[in-house]
Amino acid sequence: MTSVVAQAVVNGLLIGGIYALVSIGVTLIFGVVKIVNFAQGEFVMIGMYISWWLASHCGLDPVASLVVSMPALFVAGVLLQRFLIRRVLGLGDMPQIFLTFALSLLLMNLALLLFTANYRTVQTSYTLSAIHIGPLYIGVAKLIAFALAMLLSGALAVFLRATDLGKAMRASAQKREVAMLMGVNPDHVFGVAMGLALALAGAAGSLIVPFYPVYPGVGQVFVLMAFVAVVLGTLGNVTGALIAGLMMGLAESLGIQFVGADSGLIVVFAMLLLTLAVKPSGLFGGRVR
Amino acid sequence: MEKPKGKTSPRRYTRRGFLTTVARGTVATGVLTAYGVTAFKAKAAPAAVNIGGLYPVTGSFGQIGQACVNAAKLAVQMVNSAGGIKSLGGAPLNLILSDVQSDTTVTRTETERLITSNKLSAIHGSFASALTLITSEVAERLKMPLLTGSSSDLLNQGGRKYTFTPFARASQFAQAQLRMAKLIASGKPKVAVVFENTAFGTSSSKGLQDQAPAAGVEIVMFEPYSAGFADASPLINKVRASGASMLFAVSYLTDLVLIVRTMKQMGVNIPINGGSGGFIIPDFYKNVGKDAEGLVGVAHWNHDMNADAKTVDAAYQKQYGDFIFESQGSLVAQTFMIADALERAASPDPQKVRDALASLDVSKGYAAMAPGGKVKFDQNGKNVYGHPLGVQWQKGNLVTVFPKGEARAELIKV
Repeated sequence: MTSVVAQAVVNGLLIGGIYALVSIGVTLIFGVVKIVNFAQGEFVMIGMYISWWLASHCGLDPVASLVVSMPALFVAGVLLQRFLIRRVLGLGDMPQIFLTFALSLLLMNLALLLFTANYRTVQTSYTLSAIHIGPLYIGVAKLIAFALAMLLSGALAVFLRATDLGKAMRASAQKREVAMLMGVNPDHVFGVAMGLALALAGAAGSLIVPFYPVYPGVGQVFVLMAFVAVVLGTLGNVTGALIAGLMMGLAESLGIQFVGADSGLIVVFAMLLLTLAVKPSGLFGGRVR
Repeated sequence: MEKPKGKTSPRRYTRRGFLTTVARGTVATGVLTAYGVTAFKAKAAPAAVNIGGLYPVTGSFGQIGQACVNAAKLAVQMVNSAGGIKSLGGAPLNLILSDVQSDTTVTRTETERLITSNKLSAIHGSFASALTLITSEVAERLKMPLLTGSSSDLLNQGGRKYTFTPFARASQFAQAQLRMAKLIASGKPKVAVVFENTAFGTSSSKGLQDQAPAAGVEIVMFEPYSAGFADASPLINKVRASGASMLFAVSYLTDLVLIVRTMKQMGVNIPINGGSGGFIIPDFYKNVGKDAEGLVGVAHWNHDMNADAKTVDAAYQKQYGDFIFESQGSLVAQTFMIADALERAASPDPQKVRDALASLDVSKGYAAMAPGGKVKFDQNGKNVYGHPLGVQWQKGNLVTVFPKGEARAELIKV
């Protein structure tokens, strides 16, 4: 029994790392630019297609293709902010919601057009291998994904705390007007924030490819959990999203183990509702906003 | 400054010039099309007979839905190149398609729209039982005959008069799966059943649960899961803890790919019966690779089952590269059943087509291309001869291995 529980915990944490990576992007955009990016899942999908394409046409390992997917999506994020998001800022919620939602539909259908609805998988040497520790099986592909997800989240946290640009970003998140008065250029900061958020989505995509098939609607599988994690971990709080993502993976896995395989989400949402009942602004709310 | 520019591109378009060209082109195309259409109408005397096809071309079933559309088109081509409906003066079939987007609400509105805004004689669809049940409800209400390969037993209940199911039912699939389990296992099989919580999943697994005791199979785990999960390992962890000696999965493609791979990864090496759904399509093998070898499943149609099926398969492979799979092949048969009914009804009227389908009784030709080679409906719209086939992945090909009389290859124990 203990080994079953231990395995459930390991499984939950590993997939939770992926949820965390996707939700950090969403929460970063919300915190800094103050919009909800409904298309985040589709950028994960694009990251997956980039890695799949590089793997099947150039034989590049999906994890190595991070060096392509992350910069590509960073640039996409900067351009997106410059030419689309910037134009709807300050117009109220509706235009922003419609913009990112339309973007989500557009990207999904574009992928359908370009790649068809077919499922594609990348077989790597480590796709099916696992590390055995006592009775535990730890999938190598998921372990790599988890480790890199944690590394990237850590790097982002350091960036936000230690660099001027990161500090400017946090300042804009806390009080945009004051930040501007202190000489922070919002366009610049927003552009970098969007770029970073999309780069994280791209990274998530590349890391998922070794163990999950790619298809145009794949972003939706991961984005629902990401949105829940963003709310659970307090909107705009990067560390909160990270911890909430891991908690949700864990809750889902334990829920499947002890409640039922169609009830994993029940446990996740019960956890969300309970948290919100006690702490309405999420686990890490209270101090900011 | 201006001169060299003119020289380097003597045919440079001004905006007006460009617009004029476009306008001329448009007029010319219009004239040609109009001429072409009139010319075509003058030649082809009989009006085409419209049949509707409702498939999930986008959304979670998008891939299989698109494949069904390809097969539906091929089937109509086959009917038309064989001379169309002779009793209607060689009228060709005209396929009108609709995307039900893998969504029950859309399925309802699209079925209504397709039937009410077109003059149809019959419809077929919608691959997934959950969607087909809705299509069937609407078709019953609007009195439009529906043929479907979907397997849910519910499609034969509730006094339906316009729904016809020429292929094996979910309950029959269960029986075949259990009998195959006995053939593979040494000793009494201890089976874990995992199934997605949809109409397809619950009806198929219900059959397994009901019939297991009589078949001498012990079910040690019976677990519904939410379709489209991000990670199969929690589920497989449960399977391992159950001590099962065999796994039955009732799943569509992505989930099943993850289940099979995760089992290999977590060292759960027990035989898998992948059922039908996502297991018996070429993409399953493409995604899982050699780990799919020896896995068994069930199908209501298979491309190697008889000479007609092989002919259709060859035609399909020539066009699309892959073998024609269950839901596609059966769709070709269904189209020919509609053609047969139209032939005997000698009218495109849906009511008459429905009556002709009710009295359908074929044992040769593409309309009889079902396991056993015969189709005749009882009052519930069920083919009285319908039964499933057992199939197995052998060297990258899906071959029929059960029942013995219809097997094309030996069932390999893994």
